Amino acid sequence: MHRQRRRVVRPATLFTVLLFAGSLAACGGSGGSGGSGGDDGTLTLWTFKQSHVAALQAAADAYREESGVAIEVEAVTPDEAFVTRTQAAAQTGDLPDLFETHIHGDDFTFGGAGLLEDLSDDVTDEWLSRYSEAVRDAGTVTPDYYEDSLAPDSNLAGIEEGQRFSVPLTMGTFGIVYADAERLAQAGVTEPPATWEEFIDVLAAVDEEFPENGGLSVGLQSPTTGLEWILQPMAYGQLGQDGFEALFSDDANTDFASPDGRAVLENYGEIQPYWTPGTQTLPIDQADLSFAQGESSFLVGGTFTLAFLEQNGFDTDNLMTFPVPAPSGGAIPELTLAPFGLTGLSVSATTGDKEGALGFLEYMAAPDVAADFAQAALDVPSTDLGDDPTQAVGPVLGQMMETLSSAAEAYNPGDTTYKPSGYDGEEVAALLMEYTPLARTDAAGAGGEMADLITSYWNQQR
Amino acid sequence: MKLTERGRAVGRSGRLREAAWGYTFVAPAMVLFAVMGLYTIGYGFSLSFAEWNGFTPNWTWVGLDNYADLLWRDPVHAPAVREAATNTLWVVIAVPVLTIAISFPLAVLLNSVKRFSGVLRSVYFLPHVTAGVAVYFSWQYILEPNGAINTLLGALGLGSLEQPQGWLGNPDTALGTLVVVMVWSAVPVAVLLYLAALQSVDPAVLEAAQIDGAGWWRTNSAVVWPLVRTTTLVVGLLELRDALQGFQVFLVMTNGGPGNHTNVLGLQTYTYAFQSELRPTLGLASALGWLLFLAALLIALLSHRATRKAA
Repeated sequence: MHRQRRRVVRPATLFTVLLFAGSLAACGGSGGSGGSGGDDGTLTLWTFKQSHVAALQAAADAYREESGVAIEVEAVTPDEAFVTRTQAAAQTGDLPDLFETHIHGDDFTFGGAGLLEDLSDDVTDEWLSRYSEAVRDAGTVTPDYYEDSLAPDSNLAGIEEGQRFSVPLTMGTFGIVYADAERLAQAGVTEPPATWEEFIDVLAAVDEEFPENGGLSVGLQSPTTGLEWILQPMAYGQLGQDGFEALFSDDANTDFASPDGRAVLENYGEIQPYWTPGTQTLPIDQADLSFAQGESSFLVGGTFTLAFLEQNGFDTDNLMTFPVPAPSGGAIPELTLAPFGLTGLSVSATTGDKEGALGFLEYMAAPDVAADFAQAALDVPSTDLGDDPTQAVGPVLGQMMETLSSAAEAYNPGDTTYKPSGYDGEEVAALLMEYTPLARTDAAGAGGEMADLITSYWNQQR
Repeated sequence: MKLTERGRAVGRSGRLREAAWGYTFVAPAMVLFAVMGLYTIGYGFSLSFAEWNGFTPNWTWVGLDNYADLLWRDPVHAPAVREAATNTLWVVIAVPVLTIAISFPLAVLLNSVKRFSGVLRSVYFLPHVTAGVAVYFSWQYILEPNGAINTLLGALGLGSLEQPQGWLGNPDTALGTLVVVMVWSAVPVAVLLYLAALQSVDPAVLEAAQIDGAGWWRTNSAVVWPLVRTTTLVVGLLELRDALQGFQVFLVMTNGGPGNHTNVLGLQTYTYAFQSELRPTLGLASALGWLLFLAALLIALLSHRATRKAA
C-alpha cells in the first residue's frame, strides 16, 4: 500500500516542488548579461524625460546611418517609475544599454552600485573640449562627491574619486523668472527688475492691475521649488558665496536662525501677498500650466521650463525672463546664474556593445547634432555652440542660453557640496513653507526650525 | 478474499491518484501564493533589518536600527514619523466614525423607500464604481480656489466659508477635506453592507416595537442599530484598515502637503521607498510597513474580540 501510495504521490510531489523551485529561482534573478547589444544589434536607451524622446530618437536614427548601430529610445516616466524599473532591471539583469540620467544624481547612484560603465578612460580630451567649459567635469566624481559618498545613508555610496559615470547632454539652471510681457507692459513695466526690491514692486504693480491673475506661480507641492529656485539665488546675491553657504552650516552665528538668516527670510517673505492662490498645492507641471493658461503672470522655473511653456501653447515672444534678483546693497548686486549639467548620457555595465554605445555618446557631443537635438527638445545642450548660439538653436533658446553666465561669482545651483550629505531639501523647504505661503510662523520661527533640522543632518553625518 | 483485498487496494490507489491529481491542480495556486505571498512577505520582512537603495547587489544588515530610527532614535526620521502618525490617527478615527454615521441612516432610508429603490441604490453606489485616481483629480479641481465648492458657497451667500487658498491649500482644512473625500468613497460599500444586514432583520421584531409605541427614531436606534452591530463592526474594521494603510488619495491629491500637513504613515512609507532621492531607505520603508501591519493586526484582534462579544 505504501509502495502504491509512493508511486502515485511522488510524481505529483516532485512536480509541485519543481514548480516551486522554478518560481523562486525566477525571483532570484536571471543573472543574465542584460542589455540588447549583441543580440539583434539594437541598443536600448531609457530616458526619464518625455520631451527628449523624439529628439534623442532622431539623433539615434542619424547615428545608425553613420555607424550601423541601431538605438531605440524609450521613455520611462515619471521619475518614480524610472527608479523602480531600474531597480527591478538591476536585480534581474535586464538593464538597457544606455541611460539618460540626472548628472550627479542617478548617474552616481547607479555607478556606485556597479550598474554603469566607468567612462573615465574612454572620454578623451578632444571629446571633452566640445562641451561648454562649465560642464566638462559634470559626471566625474570629484573629491567633494567622494567625501559625501562616505557618509552614512549617502545616496552616492560606492563611487570612487576620478570615476566618470556620464557625459553631459543638457545643461541649465534654476531661478529664472518667466513673466507675461504684455501684462507687465500694461502695468507699466517694460524692463526686468534689477533688484529684489524692484521685483517686489513689479509683483505689486501687476497684482494691482490684474487682481485675478497677476500673481506668482511655482509648484510648491514640491516645497524645494520655493527654497531652491527663489530663496537660494536671492540669498546668494544678498550674502555672497561664503555667507550663503554658511546658512547651511551648523554654526549658530551664521545659520538660518542667525541675523543673516533672518534677514534673508524676511526678504523672501515679502512675496507673501503675491503668490497665486493655491500655488502651495500645485505640482511643478501644473504650476507651469497655470502660467501658460494665463492664471498667473509670473512663474519661477529653470531653463527647462521654456520647452514646457511652448509645448503648452504659451507664446514665447510674450515672455520676459530674468534671474531672481539680489537685494539692493547685497554682496553680489548683479546676480547671474551659472549653468550646470542637468542630464547626461551613461553606458550600462551590462551592455553587449560598449563601443557602439560610447560612439553614440560622442556623436551627441558634436555641435551640429547637439544643435539639432536642442531645437527638437527645446532644451539647452551641453555642447559649446560658439559665441552666437542663436544661429544654431533659434532665437528663443538662444536668448535663454545668453542669460547663463560663466562669471566667477555667478550662482551655481548645481553645487550642493556645502550641504550635509543626508540633507533632504524637501523637509527643510517644508519648514520654509510654514513661513510663506502658509503664514503659520514668522521669519524667526521658520529660521530656527530650519537651522535645527540642518544641524540634525550634520549630526547624522557624524 | 484476494479479490476483496485487490478491490480495496484498487479503491485506495484510486483515491490516492485522485488526491495526487488534486495536489497537482492546486500546485499553481500554491506556487502563486508562495511567490506573491510567502516570498514577498519574507523578503519584505528581512529587508526591514537592512539598509538598501534597490540598486546595489548586496544589502547592509543593520539589525533593529531601522525600527529604532523610526520610533525614537533618528533626529530626522522619528519626528517625521511622529507627525505622520498624528495625522494618521485623526484619519483612522474620523473615517470609520463618519462612514458609519452617514451610511447607517442612509441605508435605513433606502431600505424604507418603496419606489425607485433600485435607481436610488445605484445612484448611491456610483462613488464606489467611479472612485480612483481620476476621481481624485476631479476632486482636486472642485476644491481649487476657483473650484466648484468655493463658487457654490459664494453663490449661496456663504462667502465667509470660502477658502481663498483652496480647500487643500489651507493647512487647517486640507486633512479634513481629504477625510471627506475618503468617506465619500467609502459610504457606498458601507451602505450596501448595512442594506444586506437590514434585509435580515425580522419584520416581526420591528412590528412588535411599533406596537409597543416606538416611533421611527426609537425603532432604529433601540432595535435596528443593536441588531446590525456586527455589520457596524465589520464596516468600522474595513474603514479603519483602509484609513491606516491607504495612501493613494494623499499621494494624488496633496502628496502630503501643504508642507507636511497631510502626510500619513502610508504615504511616508511610499516616500521612503520611492521618493527619497535614491537614498538607501528601502529598509526604513519596509520597517514602517511592518509597524503599520502590527497596528492593523492589533486593531483586528480588538475588533474580533468586540465582534465575539457582540455576537
